[in-house]
Amino acid sequence: MQVSLYRAVEAVFRKEALISLRSRASWLVVLMFALTTLSCVSLLMQGDVLSPRLAAAMLWVILFFSLLSGAGRGFADEEQEGTLMALSVYGSPQAVLFGKGIFMAVLLFALSLLIVPVYLVLMDIPVFSVLLLFAALLAGTYGMAMAGTLLSALMVGAKAQNGLLAILMLPVLLPILLPAIVLTAGCFSGEAVRISYLVGMLLYDGIMTLAASLLFDFLWYED
Amino acid sequence: MIRLTFSGVTKCFDGRTIIRNFSAEALSGQITAVTGINGSGKSTLLKLAAGLLLPDTGSVIVREDGSVWRKNDRCRRVGMVAPDMHVYSELTARENLDFFLGFRYNVPLSDRQYDELMSRVGLQPDAILKKRVRNFSTGMEKRLHLAILLASGADVWLLDEPGAHLDRAGRCLVQREARRAAEEGKLVLWATNDAEEEAEADASIALSGR
Amino acid sequence: MKSCEKGLWLFILLLTAGLFYAVFFFVPPAEGLGSLVRIAFFHIPVAWGSVIAFLVGAWYALRYLRRPGKRFDAISAESARLGLIFVVLATLSGAVFSKLTWGAYWNWDPRQTTIFVLLLIYAAYLTLRSVITDERRRARVSAIYALFSFLTVPFLIFIIPRFYFSLHPSPVLNGSGSIEMDPVMLRVLLLSLLDVTLIYIALLGHRVKEVHHHET
Repeated sequence: MQVSLYRAVEAVFRKEALISLRSRASWLVVLMFALTTLSCVSLLMQGDVLSPRLAAAMLWVILFFSLLSGAGRGFADEEQEGTLMALSVYGSPQAVLFGKGIFMAVLLFALSLLIVPVYLVLMDIPVFSVLLLFAALLAGTYGMAMAGTLLSALMVGAKAQNGLLAILMLPVLLPILLPAIVLTAGCFSGEAVRISYLVGMLLYDGIMTLAASLLFDFLWYED
Repeated sequence: MIRLTFSGVTKCFDGRTIIRNFSAEALSGQITAVTGINGSGKSTLLKLAAGLLLPDTGSVIVREDGSVWRKNDRCRRVGMVAPDMHVYSELTARENLDFFLGFRYNVPLSDRQYDELMSRVGLQPDAILKKRVRNFSTGMEKRLHLAILLASGADVWLLDEPGAHLDRAGRCLVQREARRAAEEGKLVLWATNDAEEEAEADASIALSGR
Repeated sequence: MKSCEKGLWLFILLLTAGLFYAVFFFVPPAEGLGSLVRIAFFHIPVAWGSVIAFLVGAWYALRYLRRPGKRFDAISAESARLGLIFVVLATLSGAVFSKLTWGAYWNWDPRQTTIFVLLLIYAAYLTLRSVITDERRRARVSAIYALFSFLTVPFLIFIIPRFYFSLHPSPVLNGSGSIEMDPVMLRVLLLSLLDVTLIYIALLGHRVKEVHHHET
C-alpha cells in the first residue's frame, strides 16, 4: 500500500516534469517573471544599497509572486484540458497532491537557486552564512509550494482565478514569509539570528503538509 | 457479483432538474444500456455512478457480494470513457498509459504487453511511438482511452457514447471488448443513442428526460 | 421562540444603553490616556467579537466537513460576514486611538498586524465564496479554506510579536496574571464584552434563520 502510494506520487511527479519540459511555456514564464521583477528592482534602485532587512523582504516578495504565476496553473491546466476528470476517475487524491506539490517545490527551489545568485550580484549583497540561506530557501519554498498546491486546487471551478490566488495565499503564507525574511536578513547582515525561526518554519511545513493531506480528501471526494 | 443501484436519485444543475426520482439497477456479467434522448441525463447518470457527482437526493451504491464499496474502492475499480474526459496531450500514448497505471497502483506494462494492447485497440505501436496525443485524431484518442480502461483492469466500466467519433471497425471493437468484459464478470454501463448498440445490450435503463 | 428572540434583543438594547451611560459617566479617565480610554470600551469588545466570529466560523467549517449540511455552512459564512464587520470596526477604532495617543494611524504594531491578517483572511474567505457558483462546492471549498487559514493563527501569534515592535498597551490579563485595572473599568469592560458576544449571537441566529427561510 505504502509502496504503491509512493509509486503513484512518483507517476504524478514524472508526468508533471515531462509535461512542463515539453511545453516550456510554464516554467519559462515563471523564470522570466522572476528575472524581470528582479531587474526591475535593481534598475529602480539605481545602485543604492538596500538594508539587509529590505533586501531580504524584496527577495521573498519576488519568490512569492513567482510562485503565484506558476502555481496557479497547476490545476487550471488540468481543468482546461479535461484531464482532471480522468484523474478523479482513475486514482488517489493523495498522489495528486503530493506529486504536484513536490514538483512545485522542486521547481520553486530550483528557481530560487537561479534567482538568488543573480540577485546577490546585482544588488551587491554579501552573504555571511550560505548554509543558513540555503536552509531558509528550502524550508520556505517547500511550504509555499505545498500551501500553493492546495489553494490552487480550491479554485477549480471558480470564476475569476487570476487575482484570487494571491488573495487566498497571502494570509496563509505570512507565517512562513516573515521568519524566512528574518533569517535571510540575518544571512545578509551577518548578525546572529535565532535558529528558532528555522525550527518554526519546519514546523509550519510539517503542519501544512499534514493539513493539506487531510483536507485534500474532502476536496476530492464529493460527500 | 457487483450490483450498482440508483435509488430515488435526483440531480439538478443551476435549478434545472436533469434526473428526477430515478431508480434503477445494473448487474455485473452483462451489458446494461442507458438510453434516452439528448439532454435526458445519460452522461450525468454515468458521472453519478463514477462518484464524480453526488446526487441531490437519493443514493448511488455499488455492492459486491453484499458489502458496499467505499469511495476508495470506487477510485480504484471504476474505469470510464467519456467525451469530456481527456488524457494528457503533451504525452505519448505509452507515457499516458504508464502514468495512469502507476497512478492507479497497477503493475507497469512490459513492452510486449504494451504492443499487444495497442494492436488490440487498433493502434499501430510503431506508428505512434513518438507521437504525442495532441497529434492524434479523435478516433485514435478514443482508442487510447479504451486501452487505458482495458489496462486498468477496472471492474466497473462506464462507457459514455464510446462509439462516437469511431469508424465502423472502431465501433465493432468497442462492442467486442464490452462483451468480453461482461463475460469476464464485469459491470458494463453503456450510454448510447445507437439502435444497434442498444440491441447488443442485455439489459437497458431508459431515462425519460425532464 | 419568537418571544425569546425579542427578549434577547430587548436585553441587548438595555445593556448597550446602560453601557453607554457607564462609559461616559462612570468610568474614570485613565492615567496618561485621559478620556481617550473610552474608545477602548468600543475597541476591545469589537476585536473580541471578530476573534469569536473567527473561531465559530472555523468550528462550523470543521463540522460541515464531517457532516455536510446547509446549516453549518450558513453559520460559517454568516459568522465570517459579521466577523468582517467587527474586524473593520476594530481596525478603524484602533487606528483612531493610535493616532490620538501615538501620533500615527498605522505603525504595524503586532496587534495591528494580527488584526490586519484576520482582516485579510476574512476578505479572502468571502471573496472565495463569491466566485464559486455551485452551492455544495462553495460550501466545501470555503470550509477547507477556513480551516487552512485557521491553522496559521498559532504561528502568527508566535511570530508577529517577535517581528514587530509594540506600543500597544498590554492586554487586560498580562503576563504576571494580575489585573491592573480600575475595578469599575474592569466591570464595565467585562459587561461590554458580554454585550458584544450577545449581539453577535443574536445577529448570527437572525441571519442564519433568514438564509434558511429564504431557501425553503
